[in-house]
Amino acid sequence: MFMQSPIQQMLGCQILGLLKSRFFFSLLFIFSITVVQADSLSASPEEIELGRRIYLEGVLASGEPLKAVRQNTVQLEGASAACEACHRRSGMGSLEGNIPVPPISGRFLYAPIEDRVLALVDTRQAKDLTRAHVPYDEKSLAKAIRDGMHVSGREMSILMPHYALTDKEIKAVSAYLSQLSVSLSPGVGDDSVHFSTIITPDVDPKKSAVMIDMLRHAFEQRNSSQQTYSGRMRMPLDLIPRKLRNWDLSVWELKGAPDTWGVQLAEFNKKDPVFAVVSGISASTWNPIDQFCQQEKLPCLLPNVISPPENPSYYSLYFSRGVVLEAEVLAGYLTDKEKKAPHRVVQIYRDNEVGMNASRAFTKALAGSEVIVENHVLLGTKQDDLKVAMKGVSSKDSVMLWLNSSDLAVFNKFMAKQVPQNVFVSGYLTSENYSFNSKALNPHLRVVYPYELGDKRKKNVTAMKEWLKSWRLPLVDEPFQTEVFFDALFLTDLTSQMLDNLYRDYLIERAEDMLSLGSNVSAYPHLSLSRGQRFASKGAYIARIGDDGKLVADSAYIVP
Amino acid sequence: MNTFKQNFCMSSKSWLLIVVTILGLAFSNWSWAESAQFERSEDNYKIPDVNVVRQDGYKSAFVKELDDGRPVLLNFVFVSCSAICPMLSHVFSKVQEKLTKEGQKFHLMTISIDPENDTPASLTEYAKKFAAGENWSFYTGTREASLTLQKAFKAYRGDKMNHASLILMRSIPGKSWVRLEGFVSPDEVVREFNALGANK
Repeated sequence: MFMQSPIQQMLGCQILGLLKSRFFFSLLFIFSITVVQADSLSASPEEIELGRRIYLEGVLASGEPLKAVRQNTVQLEGASAACEACHRRSGMGSLEGNIPVPPISGRFLYAPIEDRVLALVDTRQAKDLTRAHVPYDEKSLAKAIRDGMHVSGREMSILMPHYALTDKEIKAVSAYLSQLSVSLSPGVGDDSVHFSTIITPDVDPKKSAVMIDMLRHAFEQRNSSQQTYSGRMRMPLDLIPRKLRNWDLSVWELKGAPDTWGVQLAEFNKKDPVFAVVSGISASTWNPIDQFCQQEKLPCLLPNVISPPENPSYYSLYFSRGVVLEAEVLAGYLTDKEKKAPHRVVQIYRDNEVGMNASRAFTKALAGSEVIVENHVLLGTKQDDLKVAMKGVSSKDSVMLWLNSSDLAVFNKFMAKQVPQNVFVSGYLTSENYSFNSKALNPHLRVVYPYELGDKRKKNVTAMKEWLKSWRLPLVDEPFQTEVFFDALFLTDLTSQMLDNLYRDYLIERAEDMLSLGSNVSAYPHLSLSRGQRFASKGAYIARIGDDGKLVADSAYIVP
Repeated sequence: MNTFKQNFCMSSKSWLLIVVTILGLAFSNWSWAESAQFERSEDNYKIPDVNVVRQDGYKSAFVKELDDGRPVLLNFVFVSCSAICPMLSHVFSKVQEKLTKEGQKFHLMTISIDPENDTPASLTEYAKKFAAGENWSFYTGTREASLTLQKAFKAYRGDKMNHASLILMRSIPGKSWVRLEGFVSPDEVVREFNALGANK
């Protein structure tokens, strides 16, 4: 085995030890995986399952909750005592503030000390890069779990609880850890990482073409610059060797009815498995895709959708709750105690998933308030259809129109002489197209607007505009394109911090932790996630259209 | 400020630094906690004029909540935080238990640093998980209000993901705040609280 020089021994915990040849690095990695896999192979499936329940759910073999003690006084029980609570599902650990929770998957726990695998490079701990230690065995692992004693003989952080596990349970945890995050995820090759993006059949092809074009250019740029990483050599993490892998992108274009999408997606993924789905677009439902991502344990990152599932799966992240968020923001605005609430609001929507979800959420949000909600469904596209939907609406009423801009153009013609007192429209559905507006309508018109306004917005989107210019790509829909741009940037950020630890669960965990730490280049006011959070932007403004045709906030930022 | 992180892999320079630090401590007015896992200091903060929302939905000026006549212990957490915040909340839970048993007057105040996610309803659920009683309140509000409070108490670290383990306490308005940064046990918090002399 490799012998350390005296200088390296002295600087054991520092960067010199990391700068070994890539060839040697790979050999050690293969060796350690082989050893770890051989270990886990000797464990029975029942043993691994018992370990999984302790690790992930905090449940013992007896079905009793796992119990632990922290700081000699604080009792933890069940899920809050589970290892996963801190070391995460991937076993790759995390970083909270300046407190590192070390990786404990088999590759890190049992690997020989010479295999200085890195879990993470994080700008918050630019120098604290390695958790190398002599390998644990079952005996030392038992001491760690029971007494909080590190394999080196030092006491662990106070954050590490002490568990009174039996030998059988320790063995089970060890068996589970041995096989956890050992093999790189599907879609990760020796010299490539495969991603896909998904387009549902209801999307305007011009819009999906914009997304594909942007993603392809971003991938191209990333691939051509990966050799130099950032080009910097200022920080230790700039110097960390990593395997060079080109990114490639498949476009999964779905056809037919939503209930057939699952099968189509499975076919796509079987033919050419991907590490993650990046971005994507739908004008209708995204539920079958969300379910597919869960079924395949496939991270599906931040698609452009306006009606995501109400309770998303673990593997799907979204920019916001879409029209449901708008419905709740508007309900909050209308029932604000400092304003006079309208007696009645008529909401008009189309009989599709977006319309149904929005109207249902609006009715629910106003239930129990003094405001009466009346539902009118718009069928067809003709003026007469609108006449039916608008029946009984007077100039004293408030209306919420869950309609897109072309429907609204017909609406405006129809309502020119008798505009309701307040006309609310959806920012998501109108997609920045206010060509339906008129002089008569404008004083009454308010947009429920989920994006940032004014100078802050201008500042946030400048990077994307400059990037589009540099690639001679068109700017056709600013909020939508900033979502795609954000996705590409965020993905490069996440994966570069993960180094060679390309595990799907780890990607989701990093995304949860890191989303709010990067640059917000999106049109949203701010984006933030955390464990279990699946919607990054959580509020909206009520805005009006000013004399110059630009949107101006008519309310504070409302978070329902 | 000096820090006392364990470092098992140190150069001779680091050892020298630690020796100097320990000598420095011996002659300083710092209280060296038994577990040596936290720093104690005293500070005065200008309380900003912001509104907050309590877990029961009650809206109020923060200063009104703060100066309600009870000695205050304050921390910053967020509901979906997995390691530090549950520990801080467990400590507060134990402190609540001990101070209640002693018949002391106190007000535990927990401020969310992820207010857009931590609605009054989710704070209520969180409070239940830690058996919070009538002397422990949880606050949310606008993002700006939370940021202003974090900055006012020198607890702002740029993002919720960078937050530190911090407990602040004060006997009455106008008195200095005691600041405990790091891992503090419930007993140590109670000892510090009693040293304020608030209930004497």
